[in-house]
Amino acid sequence: MTQETPTAKVEPMIRFSNVNKNYGGFQALVDINAEVARGEVVVVCGPSGSGKSTLIRTVNRLEEIHSGTITFDGRSVHGKMRGSELNHLRSRIGFVFQSFNLFPHLSALENVTISPVKVNGVDREQARDRAMRLLDRVGLSAKANAYPAQLSGGQQQRVAIARALAMEPPAMLFDEPTSALDPEMVGEVLAVMRGLAADGMTMMCVTHEMGFAREVADRVWFMDAGQILETAEPSVFFGDPQHARAQRFLSDLRH
Amino acid sequence: MQDFDLVAVLTNPEFRAMLLGGLVMTFVVAVGSWCLAMGLAITLLVVRLVPGRVTEWLVGTYVAYHRNVPTLVQLMLWYFGISSLLPDGLQMFLTDNNGEAVFAIVALGLCQAAYFSEDLRSGLRAVPPGQTEAARALGHGFIGTMRHVLMPQALRNALPSLINHSVSLFKNSSLAMAIGVAELTHAVKEVENQSFQTFEIYLIATIAYLVCSLAIMAVGAVLSRQAAIAGAR
Amino acid sequence: MLLDLVDIIRENWLLLLIGQYPNGPLGGFAATLILSVLSIALAFPLSVLIAFARFSTNPLLLWPATVLVYVARGVPLLMLILWVYFMVPLLIGANVPGFVTMLVTLVIYEGAFLSEVVRGGIVALGRGQVETARALGHGYFGAMIHIILPQALYNVMPSILSQFVSAIKETTLGYVINVPELTFAANQVNNQLLTKPFEVFFLLAIIYFLVCWTLTRAALVLERRIAHKRAGMPGVALSLNPQMPVPEP
Repeated sequence: MTQETPTAKVEPMIRFSNVNKNYGGFQALVDINAEVARGEVVVVCGPSGSGKSTLIRTVNRLEEIHSGTITFDGRSVHGKMRGSELNHLRSRIGFVFQSFNLFPHLSALENVTISPVKVNGVDREQARDRAMRLLDRVGLSAKANAYPAQLSGGQQQRVAIARALAMEPPAMLFDEPTSALDPEMVGEVLAVMRGLAADGMTMMCVTHEMGFAREVADRVWFMDAGQILETAEPSVFFGDPQHARAQRFLSDLRH
Repeated sequence: MQDFDLVAVLTNPEFRAMLLGGLVMTFVVAVGSWCLAMGLAITLLVVRLVPGRVTEWLVGTYVAYHRNVPTLVQLMLWYFGISSLLPDGLQMFLTDNNGEAVFAIVALGLCQAAYFSEDLRSGLRAVPPGQTEAARALGHGFIGTMRHVLMPQALRNALPSLINHSVSLFKNSSLAMAIGVAELTHAVKEVENQSFQTFEIYLIATIAYLVCSLAIMAVGAVLSRQAAIAGAR
Repeated sequence: MLLDLVDIIRENWLLLLIGQYPNGPLGGFAATLILSVLSIALAFPLSVLIAFARFSTNPLLLWPATVLVYVARGVPLLMLILWVYFMVPLLIGANVPGFVTMLVTLVIYEGAFLSEVVRGGIVALGRGQVETARALGHGYFGAMIHIILPQALYNVMPSILSQFVSAIKETTLGYVINVPELTFAANQVNNQLLTKPFEVFFLLAIIYFLVCWTLTRAALVLERRIAHKRAGMPGVALSLNPQMPVPEP
């Protein structure tokens, strides 16, 4: 969906090389080496506190790292750069939060248009048209003028996805997008994510929804104690997990 | 005491002129110091956002001083004390140009800035951190995040206390009489000395103050309703 | 300048501390303190009564209480002082000292503001406590006195302390009707010296700052302790309620 330069063709969308991070004495991320290829859907799973959220938040530098490099679309994220460069880089990385973080003082439509207009300088009318199409895509064009507090959790998260898509990012990151939702609303958000995957979007998702992982993911990364212990296709991971901790994690989920 | 006669006071052209003049001066002092206070409050807020112990300490001390020293004492320090340290030329100029009112506006404005800046700061702190993260993740810079995401929410949070403190500021303009500013309370004392119709004059002034204060509160209520986010709370 | 300050303190500390006493009325800082302590002590019971009146459905209680609160919130304290100065001698037929005038004004003014604090404390407790007390068979006043008030007043203790700080600051207005308190004493010192106005008023500001700042810190500590103690219970953050008007002359 984006035009690719010859060098970018071989370059993965996201690459972690020897990434380490610690809080005080605690190693949050240990020697992470992994790649998300273009068009690939990766699901990151693991027990709570395993570093999944920290990992995904380092990709757009909401978390700093202490050593190693992370590249996004061929550009180093944690190198020395001016604030404006970082802002530009972030504007190209779609990010969806567990707690939606919609701007409560703006309507659904304004939530989707404000960043294209103010960050990318897109013409107001054009941004509006695009936003309406995106809201339609997540099934909420009827709620364009509603404010976040008037929407259910599932609806808010779908607006948040539209808001991220409005920046036309080459990849989308999801940080536990359904964990804060009531069970009956999980399905509608996963359906939108499925649609994105089907359209060929590169996605990195931290989630506990193993059904989604099994069905949509190209690869599953299993994390524990700040390490990626296993990366495998879902059929392999769910059918025959190699690592003992992955086996325990999956059997705990079943109970 | 003479018989109660509100009309006699209100129709006396001299008294009416004095009271109206006082009311105008009250507005001048209140509006002037409000503008100074708000401008300074925003400056203090921004300075405090700069990371560093020195700025934090400076602004913290400024706020603590102005909130813990009685406003009347602050007025006296400016009018009797600080004015005496100014160069002679400036002192003369101020004496000739309504210096009392200038000092009243400066003292009340500097004092109220401490309250306003704290209101704004609490308003800002009440915005959840996820809002900043979301704005930064979408590529907004510091100023864009402030302007489009944080400040609109912080102002809504701060509105009730900003209104309360604006009413206080308006009431405090009466303290300016103590340094000889011819505002409403000062005019009341003058007219009282000439007419001896104390009750009527006090009643007129009290109603004038009350109407203005209630008007500020009403404006605040309307603003709050307009700014209220649909569906919130 | 620092030497000047020391000189001023050395030569006038007694006047600043107790005024002309024993040759004249007790004044200076002592008068400021007595005035503010007495005003809060007397305003407190009044504030509880006003708060109850504002919950009342009887218009004869509700309206006067509401009007009183709005007058205190909307009319400058100075104007109220002038009223009391004028009305009290008319009502009792005798002149009263400025100290009494100031005390009466402060009790009414502080009472009105404190009543908002108390009311906020009661509202913050929520309906559950009243309903539980009523379900246990307490009457309205029984429920209020035994169940609601003790909790509400405990929770608003920091705000009462803050109101005390406000009272200290408000006593300065006694200067306008010649109450011999601290600000008045400082003006006397200034009139004697004539050449050191900055030093005198700077010293005055420092004295007020030290007293009020210490009490403000104490209120903050108290607030944290109470919040900590009541963590998880309703009404914890009530003293931070931005709706609550606090005067600051």
